[in-house]
Amino acid sequence: MNPESEELFVKQLQENQNIIHKICRLYTSDDDSHKDLFQEITIQLWKAFPKFRGDSKFTTWAYRVGLNTAITLYRKKKRTIDTIEFDNTYHRVKQEDYNFEEEEQLKLLYSAVNQLNDIEKALVFLYIEDKDYAEISETLGISEVNARVKMNRVKGKLKKILNP
Amino acid sequence: MDELDILKKDWKKKDHSFNQITEKEIYGMLHKRSSSIVKWILIISICEFLILRILDISSFFDKSSVKMMEKNHLYNFSLVLTIFNLIVFSGFIIYFYKNFKKISAASSIKKLMSDILKTRKIVKYYIWYNLILISITTFFVLNSFFKYNKEINELYEKFPSIFILGSIATVLFIVLFFWGLYKLLYGILLKRLHNNYQELKKLEL
Repeated sequence: MNPESEELFVKQLQENQNIIHKICRLYTSDDDSHKDLFQEITIQLWKAFPKFRGDSKFTTWAYRVGLNTAITLYRKKKRTIDTIEFDNTYHRVKQEDYNFEEEEQLKLLYSAVNQLNDIEKALVFLYIEDKDYAEISETLGISEVNARVKMNRVKGKLKKILNP
Repeated sequence: MDELDILKKDWKKKDHSFNQITEKEIYGMLHKRSSSIVKWILIISICEFLILRILDISSFFDKSSVKMMEKNHLYNFSLVLTIFNLIVFSGFIIYFYKNFKKISAASSIKKLMSDILKTRKIVKYYIWYNLILISITTFFVLNSFFKYNKEINELYEKFPSIFILGSIATVLFIVLFFWGLYKLLYGILLKRLHNNYQELKKLEL
């Protein structure tokens, strides 16, 4: 690949790196695995970049490749069961926003999400990233109707985990 | 507000709490090697192919092993088997390579998984072919030893049932050993993927 496309790729990735960080946060439980997965997603994005024609946004494409890598291509060193660490490391809020009750609820919510399987996590992720059902269904390769049905089931499942 | 919306609100707030990676670091990552599942299947199968086939072929260049094969009437059997294996295994490797090229991280998750699972199926055939091959070879080799090796043959004539039972046990043991080895090499790579595929299938219900 030529240096210009490498430069373009690096620039776009640098600007949109939070997408990948967020995927890593959802699918890994410690810093090392986070970095590992980040790197693997970067490599996969770069490998797929020649086929990226720009008919979809860079971000849409990055979501897809990122999730694909997290769910299917990447070999996990650790499963994401370490919810306590996940809570402590990642969910500190600024002092002035601190609201004990809300914080507790969020802790429970994140640990409930961690109990979902990889596919359900992907659904949740796309939903909280404000993606519409068209984009969710395209990313997963299922129909829009099914994406809606499944999202409702995931919501039900989360409720069950939270109020057993 | 339901749970997911609370989560959404919080998730948005946290947008910038990540350690940002610099462009320089990204350049560095581009030249590192990927560790994707499909790539590992390809690498393991190529290593296995190289090691086993080199062992096979080299035995024809080693005088003592040729002598032993001739003494036990195994030369022709080994030669035919080696050539046959070379062809079949090359086929497998070519298929793995083609799949490796075809599988793209930019497809939808469903398409990608079904592509990887196709590879999984071929890996299964590949393992079965290997296991059947190993048992047939072991059986043939033991059989020729019993027949053509003087000292062993004398004992074999005396205690045939022990020898037959022993050879069955040997074949079973070897097959089990390799089965375990393959489970370890490929099974781990493919188990999680299979579970995810089952989940995706459920989405389609």
